[in-house]
Amino acid sequence: MSNQALSNQFIFNEEIDKDYIYSLYADDFVYVEEMFTTTSQYLDPDIESIQLAYAAGNTADLKRAVHKIKPAFGFAGMLTVQTACKNFEDLCQELTSTEALCKEYKNLITILNEGKNIIETERKRLKEFNANQL
Amino acid sequence: MNISCIIVEDLQVAADYLAKCCEKSGQVKIQGHFTNVPDALQYLNENTVDLLFLDVEMPGATGFDLLDQLAYSPKVILTTSKPEYAFDAFEHNVTDFLKKPFTYQRFIDALKKVSLPLPSEKDNMITETGIDHIFIKADGKLIRLNNIDILYIESMGDYVKFVTSDKKFVTHNTLKNLEEKINKTDFMKVHRSYIINIHKISNLRENDLFISGKEIPISKAHKQDVLKRLNII
Repeated sequence: MSNQALSNQFIFNEEIDKDYIYSLYADDFVYVEEMFTTTSQYLDPDIESIQLAYAAGNTADLKRAVHKIKPAFGFAGMLTVQTACKNFEDLCQELTSTEALCKEYKNLITILNEGKNIIETERKRLKEFNANQL
Repeated sequence: MNISCIIVEDLQVAADYLAKCCEKSGQVKIQGHFTNVPDALQYLNENTVDLLFLDVEMPGATGFDLLDQLAYSPKVILTTSKPEYAFDAFEHNVTDFLKKPFTYQRFIDALKKVSLPLPSEKDNMITETGIDHIFIKADGKLIRLNNIDILYIESMGDYVKFVTSDKKFVTHNTLKNLEEKINKTDFMKVHRSYIINIHKISNLRENDLFISGKEIPISKAHKQDVLKRLNII
């Protein structure tokens, strides 16, 4: 099945790399919904871990928490968010204080929250889409 | 479905994806999912698996820490989002390295590298028995165990666990095979799952004996032989 034909079945948000999604899950949209559901469930506590590490001024924990959340966005096809996490991880390696990371941190949290909202919206749309396929 | 595995991964979505890949392949049976190293290690000290899907960065300890503490060497497929770990992976002799997220095809390619059947008994067995010691192959090397240090040997399916006062070694072998090779002055079979060092028995009660606090059952078939070997006055 071509990607064009697949995209006729479910139109993903433009922030989601649909080709990447198909490479992971093929055209199994029930499976995609499951993965988005799992991702949605764990994003809040994982973002909270990042915020706690930043508030504690612990760059090692901050780096670790960002590292953990990074592939979660990858599994949802949000490769730009994944890249933003990777860049922030690299910054944590270079800069030793959370003060120096302030601007990038705020930017990252914004990106993560926007990404989380997109995943949640897509999860609901997928649920509706799959229900209509039955 | 002939490959037993556990998943050690703290990212739930990644664990779910791996589980789905395993299920889809029809070749891998998941025996457990652990989100941290200590829990996984505890499981692996009690059970054996053919394959570990292992994340590197987890709370408290890394996947490499787990590999360093394992008493035997299952196949390992690392799952991480950091390619920088490739060198350490090589150092730890892992079978493959999956960068998260990975496609199903990439998963299958990794699975193909897990060369089953498992190492034959020739590759992973007692290689020498002496009067006061044996050599076992574990962790890819020959390890000398003095009879005096072995408390007991426990069957674990296709593996056996040698227990000393401070270490455990798991190797691919059977009690039946060991029974023929061990020094019968020091060791005897007391149950289908246990060979014990008779000098290490601290006490005996009904159908159980105790070695360093471990309760070991004595089967009816072996009870008389056990009693004969003890210096009962």
